[in-house]
Amino acid sequence: MTPRVFKGRPVVPGRSEGEALVVDSISFYGDVDPSTGRLYDGRSVAGRIVVAGRSRGSTVGPYVLYSLKQKGLEPRAILLASRSDSVLVAGAVLAEVILVDELPRGILEVSDGARVVVERDGTVIVFS
Amino acid sequence: MHLTREEERILRGEEGWARAKALEVIVRVGEALGAERLVEIKHAHVSGVSYENIGEEGLKFIEDLAESGARFKVPASVNPVSFDVDEGGLPGLWQASRVEAEKQARILKALSSMGARLTLTCTPYYETALRDLALRVGDSVAWGESSAVAYANSVLGLRTNREGGPIALLAGIAGRTYYYGMHVEEERRSRVAYEIDWVVEDEAEAGVLGSIIAERHEDSRPPMLRGRVSGEGALRELLASLGVAGDIPMIYLPGVSPEPEPQALERVERVSRREVEEKLEELSPPDSVDVVYLGCPHLSLGELDRLARELEERGGARARVILTASPETYNLARARGLIDKLERYGARIARGTCLVVSPFWKLGLSVATNSFKAYFYLKRRGVRAYLARTRDLLSLVVSK
Repeated sequence: MTPRVFKGRPVVPGRSEGEALVVDSISFYGDVDPSTGRLYDGRSVAGRIVVAGRSRGSTVGPYVLYSLKQKGLEPRAILLASRSDSVLVAGAVLAEVILVDELPRGILEVSDGARVVVERDGTVIVFS
Repeated sequence: MHLTREEERILRGEEGWARAKALEVIVRVGEALGAERLVEIKHAHVSGVSYENIGEEGLKFIEDLAESGARFKVPASVNPVSFDVDEGGLPGLWQASRVEAEKQARILKALSSMGARLTLTCTPYYETALRDLALRVGDSVAWGESSAVAYANSVLGLRTNREGGPIALLAGIAGRTYYYGMHVEEERRSRVAYEIDWVVEDEAEAGVLGSIIAERHEDSRPPMLRGRVSGEGALRELLASLGVAGDIPMIYLPGVSPEPEPQALERVERVSRREVEEKLEELSPPDSVDVVYLGCPHLSLGELDRLARELEERGGARARVILTASPETYNLARARGLIDKLERYGARIARGTCLVVSPFWKLGLSVATNSFKAYFYLKRRGVRAYLARTRDLLSLVVSK
């Protein structure tokens, strides 16, 4: 199958690749267990490319992301189909996690576990 | 984003790793918002310093930052925490565990080692240290407490966005924030005004008015109030309620706001007295409540003085009355004999905390307050909370 290409805005730019973890929305405070990196449904964000419709800004989120990084449980990248809020940007910089936002909503149709490549310029390539 | 030579030097780490990292966060957030440059700030007010709120992860981050050698570049103050640190809890209501007390002390120690003043208040504008800075209209600051942000922009003519999470802290270390939103003169000029035809003097009434404006206001620019809100308490409650219902960082108040009056209004809407009174009526308390609460945001010295006199005239409180103020205001009040007097008439004063950020909600007590903000957040946590005019609250106190 031909890879699909999406173009977003590189807010915290970088190059990475990994498996997609798709969620409707994400708040690192509340959704993610800071000691394990696991979501409420048992899936782990560690080493994954988190693909989310939007972020739900929590002022405590950056500390959780930072804490995940200290434990090596941070995601490789966060990809959003909307505009990121300032608190998420702060968390991504502190934890040195790639952040690309304003991606087309089509990215949400990507299946969980699909291989994703993120380029420095905000291009996202999905192989499924 | 355009950066000055000095900013590039800081980003390269020439003033240390921590300042470089702090500035990088500010630059990235600014770029995400579309800011073209940074602006130097003169003060930072840091929220999110309570262990109850930021937990183990926040504690670790703040301690790591302090240990890495981070220092505030500008004077900084900090928000309240979840209990009175001198009393070790909420006086007469709840005691913090030893673990909680230790963790909270570590957060405060780290902030203090970076140079922050441990004001423990949501009303930094009442602090003598801030007044001593003699900030001027048009100065930029980075404040992280919505009610204080609205006060800074609307009453003091200072410029600040609502800097959530670690952003005010990092801006304070970087000495700069992104030039965006409320820092931009043009963005501060109202296009929509809300007109009232009576003078608002009561705190609860002012809070309800603010919540109605915040719910209706959709323009990206700040609203303007056409009419008068009189008295420090009413002003503070109006501003505090704006951040609750609608995340509004400023309201232009004729006769109060020090900047020129907006000239290019596109629309004027009316808010009727009846609308405010009906909403207030809906939220009003039953004949008796467990606790009467005043001091969200923190009370000023003048208000403590007034409350002491009011309680004295009424011959003391029969309901439990909790007041909250900053440690500095508390000490000034104590020196004037006000604390003794308030306690004699049945009030308890908690310093550097408030019921909203404390575990009060776990106690299962009902509460009546004159603060719309406190009412809103306590209600959301499942507390039987009610809103009442200040004079009705005081009657409630002695009605049993």
